[in-house]
Amino acid sequence: MNSGDIYVRGWGAVTTLGWNATDAARNLIEAQAPPAKPGRSSHLINRDFNVFEVSHPGNPLEKAMAMLEGAIDEAFERAGLSPDEIAESSVLIGTTGGLFIRNEHEFIEAVRKNPDGETPPISCRNRGAGEVADFITKKYGIRGMALTFSIACVSSSHALVVAADLLQSRKIRRAIVIGFEPLLNMTLHGFSSLLLFDYERCRPFCATRAGMQIGEAASAVILDSGQNLSSRYTFSGGYLYNDIKSMTSAGIDGVTVSEVVRHTLDSARLSADDIIAIKAHGTGTKDNDLSEGRGLVRLFGEKLPPVVSLKGAIGHTLGAAGTAETALWLSCLDEGIIPRSFGFSKMDPEIGFTPSQKNIDARDGAYLFTFFGFGGTCTSYLIIRNSTENSSARAGSS
Amino acid sequence: MTETTTKHTAPASPIPVIAASYIGPPLMPNRDALWEENELPLNADALVNEVMGQPMRRAGRFIKMVSCGGLACLQQVSPDYLKGKKTGIFLATGLGNVDEILPFITQVFKHGGGFPSPNQFANSVSNAAAFVMARICEVTGTVLTVSQEELSFESALWLAQTYLEHGRIDIALVGGCDIFTPTAEEYRERVNVSCGNARRLPMGESSSWLLLGKNEEQNIGHILAVDFYDTVGAPDQRFDKQTILSDLCDARGKGRIVLPGFRIRQTDLNGWKDGGWETEDYLPCCGIHSTASAFGIARTLREKTNSVFVHYNCSASGRHAFVSGSTKS
Repeated sequence: MNSGDIYVRGWGAVTTLGWNATDAARNLIEAQAPPAKPGRSSHLINRDFNVFEVSHPGNPLEKAMAMLEGAIDEAFERAGLSPDEIAESSVLIGTTGGLFIRNEHEFIEAVRKNPDGETPPISCRNRGAGEVADFITKKYGIRGMALTFSIACVSSSHALVVAADLLQSRKIRRAIVIGFEPLLNMTLHGFSSLLLFDYERCRPFCATRAGMQIGEAASAVILDSGQNLSSRYTFSGGYLYNDIKSMTSAGIDGVTVSEVVRHTLDSARLSADDIIAIKAHGTGTKDNDLSEGRGLVRLFGEKLPPVVSLKGAIGHTLGAAGTAETALWLSCLDEGIIPRSFGFSKMDPEIGFTPSQKNIDARDGAYLFTFFGFGGTCTSYLIIRNSTENSSARAGSS
Repeated sequence: MTETTTKHTAPASPIPVIAASYIGPPLMPNRDALWEENELPLNADALVNEVMGQPMRRAGRFIKMVSCGGLACLQQVSPDYLKGKKTGIFLATGLGNVDEILPFITQVFKHGGGFPSPNQFANSVSNAAAFVMARICEVTGTVLTVSQEELSFESALWLAQTYLEHGRIDIALVGGCDIFTPTAEEYRERVNVSCGNARRLPMGESSSWLLLGKNEEQNIGHILAVDFYDTVGAPDQRFDKQTILSDLCDARGKGRIVLPGFRIRQTDLNGWKDGGWETEDYLPCCGIHSTASAFGIARTLREKTNSVFVHYNCSASGRHAFVSGSTKS
């Protein structure tokens, strides 16, 4: 470990598997991961979509804010951040919808309260994606930099890599990276209009896959470069790439994906042999899984480590996927387990591998994370689990 | 007054501005012209033909404005200027593709079921404009869409500056774009403009861009610093910070220009005036919008000579942002 290391100091996540990352990880490990169901939230206007929905007694806006606070509070607690440390931190948000949930909720409420009146057109009153950061900085008294990235499905994974860059440049003291994506009619209907929605179930890397299913999540990952930390996890090799060949596909030949991952390994000075497991993007869409699967096979060949997509268990949480899946994965590692992939039944010969179908004991070492989004966006990074002895020794030596 | 923090200091060296461009509501690149809020938004097709040389039939107005603004900036340098250089694109927008989102969700929520267009959804995705811009420039590296309400452009500029300083990129194309989306009343609400928290001016739009390098000798000016402050307290004491910031600019023998953002009141400028700073009010040329600062800074870099300038704005929540720079001699 070096003085320039970036540590994952804490994390938290609210997903369909639970109101904190630890519960969610335990549910995942115990295969308590029910498939998506028709959405029940009061703002959803079409019950044909199966979604991974978080349960909450309040209205959709109250739920979204409770999710956000739940994830942040869990991350703060796990990181053991003092009020001063919170105040001097910077916030990097990844979200596509921001607080658009407010528009949808208020519109549905207005219609419900005036059932006989003429339905007005829905208005767009939210202040853009940056509104979430404004809420968080005010609520928690955060005075560091606030940056919001609205980059489709890689919003929060890109935010993690940018946060690591800023920490290495010593431009910020600490980064609270947040992914936030409540369920929206807008995105459900949008992906449906693009014929990218699987109405049955989410089946990453499966020959029978037919599209994605949307999940909702709020999540937070805290990165720190401080010397006095006892964190067991380091963040490494972050890489952002923008494929300009296609707005919707990362190239089904897999070349782009393999080059992105290769760059990550090179910048972390690791080889393919060093990777213990891969937390793949694995959306369940035909093209994403084909390009990602072929890319991984192209790079790792016969030595492909276990590949896991979490989207069969929590859905595609869009802009929140980066931090949500990282948080869930780290909690699984804390439980000593690399979780299995859900939703798979038949190998796709064009992909040529089966995603991991059983829980595996977690080892110390490097775990690869990949994310690929609309607009040719690619994120790749590594999280290294260090031995408990090393982590303790580092904290003790300071 | 409680000065809570000073987050960011001046860069180690000034960042050269290789080119700049601005397009305001009259849709005339790098020119000021008369315009009326109640006639906005103007059709952008003529602008697209002028700048791009061909129509963009499937793109929405936001994507057209982003592309035209960015390309108008790149047209100031040779066509192969970016070749072989690690280039980053930093697109700042407060509201993004609202022109595509609004008709899409209107269809989604239509009584009896509407017909949401897949093309409209694709165009409404938050980074669609940045993708188009990256494709135009053939940029495959860092392409970020940054949104931070009225400080979006300052945030993107700060990020670009950091990436340049630390060698992650050689060139940065940094732009701010927000477009007028009716009604004006709803647009005001989206930009969080209400009585007392902003100047009384028409709502507007722009797409304004800077091409930044690392040590280019041929430049039209420099970005000296991008600083953010959180403050709570009496306005008069804020000028302590402004004095500190103005010290960053070596203004000897040069004109001093302060560019007030749309949340800055006249009384906030008294200290600047007393210090010999001339106010350049660019907002009547572009109107209020989240990324208006990009317009003001690009216009100043193009139109003014032998001056130092400071763009000063704050968010409705009390975050203050200063961008200081110098124009060519």
